[in-house]
This record gives sequence, structure tokens and C-alpha cells, in this order.
Amino acid sequence: MKLQKDAMDWLDSRLGVRELLYNNLNGYLLPRNINIWYTLGAILMALLGLQFLTGILLLIFYVPDTEKAFASVTMIMNEVPYGWLIRYLHVVASNLIVAFLFLHMFSVLFMGSYKRPRELTWLSGFVLFNMGLVFCLTGYLLPWSQLSFWATTVATDAAGAIPVVGDFLVEFLRGGPSVGAATLGRFFALHVMALPMAFLGLLGFHLFCVRRVGISSAPFGDQYQPTELTRSFTHDEHLDGVPFHPNYTIKEISMVFFALAALVVITFFVPWLFIPPEALVPANPFVTPEHIKPEWYFLWTYQVLKIFPSKLLGLSAQAAVMGLMAILPFLDLGPERRPAKRPIFVTIYLLGIWV
Amino acid sequence: MRWSIAIRRVLSVVGFALLFLPVQVSAEETVCIQCHSGQEGRLKAPVEQWRNSVHAANGISCNDCHGGDPTDFTMAMSPDRGFVGVPEYDEVPEFCGHCHLGVKEDYLGSAHGKALESGGPQCVLCHGSHGIQLASIKLINKESCTRCHGYERAIKVKQAISSTEATLTSLEESVASLHRLGFDMKRMKENLFAQRNAFRQIFHTVELDKIKRQKVKFDKELAVIQGQVNTYEAEISQRKLVGGGVALLLLLGGGIALLIRRSYHKEE
Repeated sequence: MKLQKDAMDWLDSRLGVRELLYNNLNGYLLPRNINIWYTLGAILMALLGLQFLTGILLLIFYVPDTEKAFASVTMIMNEVPYGWLIRYLHVVASNLIVAFLFLHMFSVLFMGSYKRPRELTWLSGFVLFNMGLVFCLTGYLLPWSQLSFWATTVATDAAGAIPVVGDFLVEFLRGGPSVGAATLGRFFALHVMALPMAFLGLLGFHLFCVRRVGISSAPFGDQYQPTELTRSFTHDEHLDGVPFHPNYTIKEISMVFFALAALVVITFFVPWLFIPPEALVPANPFVTPEHIKPEWYFLWTYQVLKIFPSKLLGLSAQAAVMGLMAILPFLDLGPERRPAKRPIFVTIYLLGIWV
Repeated sequence: MRWSIAIRRVLSVVGFALLFLPVQVSAEETVCIQCHSGQEGRLKAPVEQWRNSVHAANGISCNDCHGGDPTDFTMAMSPDRGFVGVPEYDEVPEFCGHCHLGVKEDYLGSAHGKALESGGPQCVLCHGSHGIQLASIKLINKESCTRCHGYERAIKVKQAISSTEATLTSLEESVASLHRLGFDMKRMKENLFAQRNAFRQIFHTVELDKIKRQKVKFDKELAVIQGQVNTYEAEISQRKLVGGGVALLLLLGGGIALLIRRSYHKEE
């Protein structure tokens, strides 16, 4: 105990650690009506940490070579001690992360938390969400299975519909005319190096925005009133709020535990849930699987492409939707955040989820 | 200003709703299927039968048996592209035997095969043609066999092979299920496939004594495979036990954390 105190004193005298910790933990006050949806960020961070850990462990045995990739994954699953556990945790957690990212985004939309002055928080979060999807897309190819090969072929092929630069884009994404060794090489580099670094950087910025602007109050209850914004920067203070630590961190810990319990249940009892049968067959460029279908989180892009008469229109519609989503806080300028007072938005929001 | 805000909001939510529109997907098909699908009667019937067959499920298409070019409408049925059309009755064993070599040999050596020239049974009489299903012991049945002869001998053959058949079926299911869980079952699957084919081959001889002798050998081989499957299944049970324990601990931890949170609520 004394050693710990001495170490703390040493750090405190140099960096003012005690003040820093107080300001960001016990002294950091959150709104009293903060709800369970606010814990999604903590769940996502815990799962991301797990992804980094399991990803590094997988990297020890994975071979990014079209001749060896599938065999190396089979070896991880069958010969490496607890390799099956590490890989399944990585696969299942990636799907849970996407699910929680969706929930996080939907809850922010529903509560109007994206609105001014949190435009940058939303924008960085939206880019992080898309980066999460790119993480999944690039990771999908790495096992070099039939599913990997054909899902990547379909996904990269879509870029070909863009006029003028389409063919160039397809070749750029694949590193050649078709999915092959070059594609695996660049997807591997993206998945294990470029994306993690960019993701961590942007995540840091996202968290900085959250802390700097302050947590938004949940727009529910009698006490909530929309606030008119000032031109100059103001931190959203909650002077009668509850301390972030330990009052709120303990709630976050409980939710993280529940999310991890879901992860463990899927990993140990239904690990095949996110792994279609085609993922168990090595890639064969000469045999197209009969039922190739994107992962559940890419189904919407697939659907949009199918309902339009041309791929270009489908891609344009997707780009328009994503563009609108990205700049939503710059379009939706009203201060009102209470769902009951935003009937048009909420109706279509619910309709969208129902459809 | 108010209108522009309203339009922006509507545009935002309409765009958002586009994310959830539904679709349908169709599979690519050979010219044989495309052309025959549009025909009537006996020319159309094989298409639907084939779609539900074990051949279709394993990617065996029209041209694999009938020859021809499945990619060219005009040359699809040209003899120059290897089209052989419909075989004569006594040509059927040769036709099927292109792929099912071992079975063909045993069949031709059997009483069934020897009677072929005088109108004896051939492959499609029992197995069917376009709608062919995965062969099973159910194919040996009174209705089918009594079309040509009594059922007494056939039932003895069926009884002799039924336990081995049941083991084979159960092992195939176990191997498929283990493969689905990520276990490397390639060798075991190949071994089982070879055992099944060899076993099915011998009962095309319809010689009861020979079948009984061979059955003992197959049962021994299958017992070895069953032992390996049992080891894997025991490992899965152990995994589930550990996983269930860890999940319970996590739920318990989450519950305790929530209780602690509740105690803070009281202080607040």
C-alpha cells in the first residue's frame, strides 16, 4: 500500500495525476436521468479491447497467403491450444460490435444526441461505425474460404458501377482484375495495421469530444427542457448530477459483464451463428457457391442494390443515405430532442426499423 | 426557414428508411434448365425433379450425364459437344457407371446385372432418374422388390445391413455437425465416404453371405471412427460446461454490480 502511495505521490508531484483523476472520475458529473443506452460506449470499448487482444493472438499463427491462409485458420481451430476459443471470440465479438454500434447509433438518433453542439461527436462516431464495417469486410477475406472469396468478389465488384473510375476502383481494391493474392495482401495490411491505427486515433477524438462537450441529458422526464445554444463554447455541466465514478462506472461494468456473458454464450454454445457453411470450405475461384449472401450487417446494402434497376442507382442511393446520415446534425438544426415532440422523425425512424 | 428545416428532416428520414427495403436473389442456371423450364409436359418435368435431387444438391447438372454444352443455346444438344441424349434401357448402367464405377461392377456381376439383357432391373428402376435422392436402405422395400420377384431374400439383405446403415447415417450426421463447429473433419469425412461407398457397393451384389461377411469388417472400421467422434463430442460437452460456468459468473458479476449501483441510488 505504501509503495502504491509513494508511486502516486511521485506521479502527482510531476503530472498532477490526482487532480486529473478527480476531474475525470469522481468530480465528473453526469446527468441524473442518464439511462442504460449510455453504457453502449463502454460495452463497445470492452469488446474492442478484446478484439485487439484476440486479433494479436490470431496473428501469431495466421498466414496471409492464398495457399496457406485457410490451412492456417484450420490449424488455429484444431491444433493451437485454445485457438478455437480465440478465433470464435474474435468472430462473435466482431458481430456483437456491429450490433452494438447499430444500437449506439440508433439510440443517439432516437434521443437526438447528435444535435448541436455535438456535431463532431456524431460525425466521428459515424465514421467509426463505417470503419467498423470496413474492419469486418477486410477481416472476412482473411480465412480465404469460399465465403471470403465470393463475398469479397461481390463487394468489390459493386465499385465497378461507378462511371469513369469504376473499373479502376475495382482493380485498385483488388490489386488486380480479380480477387487474389494481392487482394488478400492489402486487406490483411488494412485489417491488422492501417485500420486499427486510424480507428484508435478517431476513437480518441470521439472520446475527447464526448468529454469536452459533456454528456447530453436524456430527453425524457419533466425536468428536461431543450436548451438554446450560445455562440461561444460551453461545457454541458450537470451540477446536480451523479459522479461518473463510482456511481456510473459500476453500471457500465454491469452492462459490460452482461454483454460478455452474451459473447461467451454464443461462443461456447452456438459458435456457428455468424459462420455460414460456405465459410468452412476453402476458396475456389472456379466454383460459385449457390447461396452466397453477405453478412447480416451488409444485407441492407445488398438489398438497396437489388431494388434499383442499375447498380449505379443503387450505389448512388446508398451514398445519398450515408451522406445524409453523416451530415444529419448540420441539417436537423432545431433544439428539440424529445422524441414525442419530433413525430415525423420518430415515425419514419420506427418504420425503418420495423420494415 | 421553417419549411426548409422540415424538408431537410423529411429528406433525412426518407434516406434513413431506404436502409431497410427488402430484396430477392436468383441463382444462375445452365441453358438446359433455362430452355426446358419453358417447355411443356415430359420435356419440362425433369427440371423440377432435378432441382430437388441429390445430384442438384451436389452440383451435378444435366450435362454431367447427358453431355452437351450447358453454356451455349445453339450447341447445347450437339453431338459435337458430347451430347448423348437419353440412353436405351440396357445402356443405363453404363450411363450411371461413368461416375458410380464400383457400384456398376458389383451390379453387373449380380443376378440383377446378369438379367439386364432379358429386361432385368437397372439403376433407375430402384433409384429413379432425374429426381434421384440420396440412396438409403428404404429403397429396399416390398413394393419395389415385388415388381419382379418375392421379397424374402431382399428382406434378409435389408436386415443384414440395417444396423451398419444406421451407424453410417448417425456417423455422417455427427461428422457434419462437428465440421459445422469448426473441427477439421476432412480425413474422417473422406474415410466415412469411402466406407459408405464400399458398403453400398457390396449390397448391389445381392449375395447375402458375402454381405454378412463384409459387414463385420465395416462394423470394425466404423467403431474406430465412432471412437474418434465420441472424443470430439466429449470435448464439446466440456467446452459447454466451462462456457456455461463462465457465462453464469459474468451474469452474477453483472448482477452484483447492479446491486452496488442500486445502493448508490439510495445515497443519491
